[in-house]
Amino acid sequence: MMLAQQETNLPPTISIKNLSIDYKAKRGQVQAVRNISFEVDRGEAMALIGESGSGKTTIGLGVVGLLPPTAKIRQGEIIYRRAADGKIVDEIDVLKLNPQQIRQFRWKECAMVFQGALNAFNPVLRISDQFADTASAHNALRGMALKERATEILHMVRLDADRVWRSYPHELSGGMRQRVLIALSLLLEPQLIIMDEPTTALDVLTQRNIMDVLKDLRKNLNFSLIFISHDLSLAAELADKVSTVYAGKIVELGDVYTVFRNPYHPYTIGLIHAVPTLAGRKEDLTSIPGSPPDLINMPTGCKFHPRCPLADDQCKTQEPDLEEIGKGHRVACWKWQTARETLKRFKAS
Amino acid sequence: MTAGEVTQPKPQGFRIQDLPGKIWSNYVLRRIVRALVIIWLITTIIFFVIRLMPGNAFDLMVADMVVNRNMTEDEAKIRASSLLRINFNRPIGEQYLEYMSNLAKGDLGYSFINNNRTVQELLAQKLPWTLFSVGTSLMISFTLGMLLGMIAAYKRGSWLDHLITNFAAAMDAIPQYIYAIVLVLLLGVIWKIMPVMDMKGVLSPGIKPGFTFEFIWDALMHLRVPAFVYVLSTVGNWALSMKSSTLSTLGEDYVTVARARGLSDSRIITSYVGRNASLPLVTALALSVGFALGGSVVIESVFNYPGIGLELSKSLSNRDYPMLQGIFLITTTSVIFTNLIADLIYGWLDPRIRIAGGE
Ligand SMILES: Nc1ncnc2c1ncn2[C@@H]1O[C@H](COP(=O)(O)OP(=O)(O)OP(=O)(O)O)[C@@H](O)[C@H]1O
Ligand SMILES: [Mg+2]
Repeated sequence: MMLAQQETNLPPTISIKNLSIDYKAKRGQVQAVRNISFEVDRGEAMALIGESGSGKTTIGLGVVGLLPPTAKIRQGEIIYRRAADGKIVDEIDVLKLNPQQIRQFRWKECAMVFQGALNAFNPVLRISDQFADTASAHNALRGMALKERATEILHMVRLDADRVWRSYPHELSGGMRQRVLIALSLLLEPQLIIMDEPTTALDVLTQRNIMDVLKDLRKNLNFSLIFISHDLSLAAELADKVSTVYAGKIVELGDVYTVFRNPYHPYTIGLIHAVPTLAGRKEDLTSIPGSPPDLINMPTGCKFHPRCPLADDQCKTQEPDLEEIGKGHRVACWKWQTARETLKRFKAS
Repeated sequence: MTAGEVTQPKPQGFRIQDLPGKIWSNYVLRRIVRALVIIWLITTIIFFVIRLMPGNAFDLMVADMVVNRNMTEDEAKIRASSLLRINFNRPIGEQYLEYMSNLAKGDLGYSFINNNRTVQELLAQKLPWTLFSVGTSLMISFTLGMLLGMIAAYKRGSWLDHLITNFAAAMDAIPQYIYAIVLVLLLGVIWKIMPVMDMKGVLSPGIKPGFTFEFIWDALMHLRVPAFVYVLSTVGNWALSMKSSTLSTLGEDYVTVARARGLSDSRIITSYVGRNASLPLVTALALSVGFALGGSVVIESVFNYPGIGLELSKSLSNRDYPMLQGIFLITTTSVIFTNLIADLIYGWLDPRIRIAGGE
């Protein structure tokens, strides 16, 4: 990262502490996010990885205050810090903002690029109008300055700025729209960007293209990133840190290199094996058997135990907490010390 | 392309054989051509219905005059021909051409009962009142309905939503004449808020039509109750349509993204939700305008409002065929034209349609 030296010892851009979020559903409370804590440093990218329904989007929505009315934040704290000139100039307790303040916070401080957002633009307005709308909502750029800034960021995402500027959304392809949205997220120079599966709805080539754009942006700009994906290989490419999320809880967290080399949680190990590598043989592709738990009637103990070959009585009754097992590497598993070895033996037999 | 054409450097040259294709590829022109073709078809059908079908208007008129006015059959035929402005002794092709050229000139024949008055003259007299009353009421009803529908959608599940939705559904179900009778009874007879005479007709005696404040004011005063009836009977439908359309728009990704972008609520309500949610209502509005030009028969009859609707019911009971034909013609043309206008407005409101038209 091209980080200004002075910025490296500043406190994190965002600190989430003990966050729990429920949804009210007909059958009962959906415990979508359970006691999650993590931090993202200046210029750092954190990947949230997990299966469908594990609560990743919910975390993102919580940060930008866009949870639906049926959601309730049971506990926790979200602290965002804005830095300027090597100092923290503002510290915002996001959950305490009033509606007007949170409106200002969105996009200006933290932009969220939505999951499969092919329909992210108003079909009846030109892209230029939607840029202008965003800028004027925050009393930011207008006129020529806006146009110049837009041209600059549209170039950054490798688009023909002039053409895109005058287009209506339907005149652009899905991949182009996604890049326009990414460019738009940069418009107000937020210090935190949340990208919720930015490549999911796209074909493989377009996905590749967007990943390259994102890597470029990370190299050239200085923003913190929360990158949500169910694809570990994408996370490995882009992120500095990775968290695996299972049933609304972080079960393993560490820097990308360590987690990839030495995963300890059986779920992470399963996810890594589920990634086909170009070199890997077919039989390495063991996906995780079973399906994610029902978030309304959760299993007791470790939520992963019904799918875990290592589970014993302790796993069935007591839920493990995240435990620091190495520098910045945390795991929530009773069996972490022996997990990899045992799983290898299971597979061999 | 042949070699011969290549030697002629006329890249943007006009070729008559390209014209149909060009018109067809242009959204606006295509709609206009389609509307004209439909109008031609309908007028042609009317011609055949009047002249050729068994039990057609011509034969009925002749029979009517023979029985009720003691005419001989030949006299009656001559009279009917002159009223309908079709010479029935000529070959059918010539009759058709004559009929079409009369229409093109705006000549719709003579009214059967209003002696010596042309249909177009009578229509021209009634039409402004219908335009005025329906136009005003429809605008009020549409605007109010949109507002109520949006409020209900935004406050989904609240008591306000239940109130609006239930009232709208109930009001939509009650027939117009009930509103009319109940209002006349309540306002004029039971509460005695306004004299029944003031609800009837379009003007007080002694007021001269013209561009004066007095005239406009008096016309509006006479419109109050009929417009109220019209609004009551139609606003529910607008509110319900707008509510469902708004609800589906609110679920769109771009609305969530707009909120994530920090746009103000007012900007989101107008340009993001409102504009998209009202798209489907534009066509419905145009259709209402088109049909309403035929006059609201019930309201105009109850309040003795001299518009097209009242004229229609009079002509029906008097079997005034030329008049009926005229009213039928202007109603259908107005439906087709307002539909055309709706298409054009829609294309203007929704850029996706504009492109789709240019395949
Ligand atoms: N509005 C809601 N009402 C009730 N339950 C919800 C609601 N939104 C999400 N959930 C539930 O909360 C859980 C977490 O959902 P979330 O969308 O955060 O998952 P995700 O990890 O983003 O999944 P995906 O990879 O499919 O996007 C899911 O079990 C989901 O069914
Ligand atoms: Mg999601």
